[in-house]
Amino acid sequence: MMSTALPAPLSFAQLVGLDTARQALLLLAVNPLLSGVIVAARAGSGKSTLARAFAALLPDSTPFVELPLNVTEDRLLGGVDLEATLVAGRPILQPGLLARAHAGVLYVDNLNLLERATAAHVAEALSAGWVRVEREGLSTIYPAQFMLVGTYDPDEGDVPPGLLDRVGLIVPLAARTEAALRAEVVRRNLRPPQDEGETELLRGMIHAARERLRQVQIAEDQIAALMQAALALGVEGNRADLFAVHAALASAALEGRDAVDEDDLRLALRLVLIPRATQRPADSLPAAQPSPRSASNALDRDEGETSSKEPETPRELLLEAAQALLPPDLLELPFAAHQRGRRGSRGATLNMRRGRFVRAVPGDPRSGHVALLPTLTAAAPWQRLRRGSESSARVHIRRNDLRLKRYRDKAGTLYIFAVDASGSMAINRMREAKGAAIRLLQDAYVHRDQVALIAFRGQGAQVLLPPSQSVERAKRELDVLPTGGGTPLASALLTAWQLARQARERGVAHVALVLMTDGRANIGVRAVPSDRQQLREEIQQLAARLRADGVSAVVVDTQANYLSRNEGQQLAQWLGGRYVYLPNARAEHIARALGKSLAM
Amino acid sequence: MSPPDTNARAYPFTAIVGQEEMKLCLLLNVVDPRIGGVMIMGHRGTGKSTAVRALADVLPMIRRLAGDPFNRAPEDVPEHDPLLALTGIHSRAGKAEKIPVPVVDLPLGATEDRVCGTIDIEAALTQGVKRFQPGLLAQANRGFLYIDEVNLLEDHLVDVLLDVAASGWNVVEREGISVRHPARFVLVGSGNPEEGELRPQLLDRFGLHARIVTLTDLEQRMEIVRRRRAFDADPAAFHAQWLPKQRALQRRIVAAQKRLPSVVIPDDALMFAAELCMRLNVDGHRGELTLARAACALAALEGRSLVALNDVQRVAVPALRHRLRRDPLETTDAGDKVAQAASELLAQRNHHALQVPTAPAAFVV
Repeated sequence: MMSTALPAPLSFAQLVGLDTARQALLLLAVNPLLSGVIVAARAGSGKSTLARAFAALLPDSTPFVELPLNVTEDRLLGGVDLEATLVAGRPILQPGLLARAHAGVLYVDNLNLLERATAAHVAEALSAGWVRVEREGLSTIYPAQFMLVGTYDPDEGDVPPGLLDRVGLIVPLAARTEAALRAEVVRRNLRPPQDEGETELLRGMIHAARERLRQVQIAEDQIAALMQAALALGVEGNRADLFAVHAALASAALEGRDAVDEDDLRLALRLVLIPRATQRPADSLPAAQPSPRSASNALDRDEGETSSKEPETPRELLLEAAQALLPPDLLELPFAAHQRGRRGSRGATLNMRRGRFVRAVPGDPRSGHVALLPTLTAAAPWQRLRRGSESSARVHIRRNDLRLKRYRDKAGTLYIFAVDASGSMAINRMREAKGAAIRLLQDAYVHRDQVALIAFRGQGAQVLLPPSQSVERAKRELDVLPTGGGTPLASALLTAWQLARQARERGVAHVALVLMTDGRANIGVRAVPSDRQQLREEIQQLAARLRADGVSAVVVDTQANYLSRNEGQQLAQWLGGRYVYLPNARAEHIARALGKSLAM
Repeated sequence: MSPPDTNARAYPFTAIVGQEEMKLCLLLNVVDPRIGGVMIMGHRGTGKSTAVRALADVLPMIRRLAGDPFNRAPEDVPEHDPLLALTGIHSRAGKAEKIPVPVVDLPLGATEDRVCGTIDIEAALTQGVKRFQPGLLAQANRGFLYIDEVNLLEDHLVDVLLDVAASGWNVVEREGISVRHPARFVLVGSGNPEEGELRPQLLDRFGLHARIVTLTDLEQRMEIVRRRRAFDADPAAFHAQWLPKQRALQRRIVAAQKRLPSVVIPDDALMFAAELCMRLNVDGHRGELTLARAACALAALEGRSLVALNDVQRVAVPALRHRLRRDPLETTDAGDKVAQAASELLAQRNHHALQVPTAPAAFVV
């Protein structure tokens, strides 16, 4: 789990194809105030090799700690060392991995698969620089100033934004590697060339740059340019501003310069600001409002006549560069993706790991699995007091000491089934829909989740079955469900939203909506039935609200193909959910589709 | 390896650029803890936790019985105090000491026994005696309890905190240890709405709800970077530079606390608060009460003894934005809705005020 001497098969200088990542790591080595580097890369692109090779660039005694994904809280933060405590007869604390990484590197592969709480602890340590332990009756503070090196495969979900925000340098996914480069990677892996002292050279460079860093200057108008770019790109928060400045300074130091130049600004833009973009710079930017200071600086430098030809201020340069560096689809960038609410993957990740032991809590042994070590830890302090009061038992354990394993997100899901029973749902399709719903209900029951049933027809939606675990009742209600009348889709969405909110108040962790409809809404909540535009807007608004509240959704389209105007697909898109076409799909297909999007 | 001094690193409160709503909400709670705490929600990296942790430096001093782990005032501790007996700390014959109002940080991974207090492990292991080791709730008594990333806190801990915050007492029962100690604190939470849904019951319990967003003013953002760099480069010099402002704020807070009992809120301001809550369909009376208290605290903070309608208006958004019924078809932000309702109502009243003289009767909260 932790090692200092790493058998790096390739040195830093020999790695090919991860140039941007290498650059970022060099900046970090020069200026640890950048906090860390997060690299997006596909599996097998050598990202973990890179992290290890990076460690080799740092001074010899620098700690390198790898954080396993399944780390428990007490291993992460620190806690009672049971064995040592029993031997010594007084509580002995054991520092956690965060504290062990102090003054060194914390490496996390698959950063996006970290537990939410674990990610929050890492993020907190990154900004505070220490870890506070308030556990098992003990209280202490460990210093934990480390550099985070994290890698992740974007196909497997996003990195928690709280963590991204606290790390200075982010390397987005590089374009597909070219064939020649791929061949080179393989060749080098098969037969590593001689390092020829390149690692030593880099170490020397880093050392020199660290020395120089203190005297590197950045001009006010250069800072202004970075901030302008951050504003134009819609970067959230103020940490990025400071990171950008630190990155530019480190870049200059690495190049052996005492003043930041345009290349440094561009690099800061690329590694700090672009990955945090949530919008494109507006084409017509408001007229420049440089601070008085930067205006006078510009005058001092240009001396009049060249100023009209001197093409670009740092600000213009950066905005131009930003336009060129932004990917065609902003959603490829981590923050933009988060802002648009594309966060289904996080829920899925959590649920995939459902059943993993995270921490121990007191409880009744009949209601869970006993966690042996935490139970012994809880009993340890009492041993002396209890001795003599009982038989000759070696360890005195009482009910109070029992600790149960707590699994993340075992708290169930509420599945809301909203079934369209309007006249436009032909009788036979209605039967299919009922069949699918009943199958899903059974599935939900197996997983001890709750189900609720909404039917909508005529003037509004109706809750046929409030959240419960009774599949039988749901089936009965479905069997006698009358059909006919208009399609009050908006009312169904509103009702689902209310159920979802109530469930949240009761502490239900996850709500999923399964909507079976042909999508032909013609009755609104407030909208006039004849106003199609209004009806549409209402549905769009409600769908957005459900989505914003984190409700996962699946739209099961029951409309015959030849009639379709893609209402179902549109609705699924608004809900940020999945679309399933029922006439082609059997109930088990739907169940599988749901399993994927709802992590059933 | 010496533990880092967490206080020495705090950034000065008065050096925080912008985010006036958040700063005001915190200060109002300092002036009057009965306001009921504040929940700060907003973008990452906008200085939420910086502000709360910076607060400690500008808080006034309180008197407590010397060495009392529950921060009680000497006059509140009986001569043969069972609590002190349980902790094994000997009473120092009623001697008093002055300490700064405590600001206690509740870290995310904290376990319940450290929050509520538990047996003193060391004493039990080495001497075989039962002693109570007070937890974070004891430390926070008469001060502030801060939870960052409050939406990531374990549910069972949230329940404990809400119970204690509501009753003002912490009760621990375990194997012959039975403790009931005062735990009155101002609960301050912060979080990012994207990180997870907040349980509505939790939000309701906070008196004020501040929202913060990323500053979009270039000059302000540059100032943040300048100050932060100066602070990082030489924290001690930075502190020295801001010391006069810090002291001035501290004096203002002390003066406001002194003035608060004599602050008067006239009937028309109370009416205004009630009408505002009615107009916004706020259930119950917590809305009006918080409005009134926050308005009084604001007047006190600004050195006035009479609450104006304008004071109510200024605190209306953080006092009410989390108390509106949620309507999924509503697109306006709840805060904007409160602000709009308040200014409309005020305009209406000003219009009437020209004809109807205001009642002279006054009411002291």
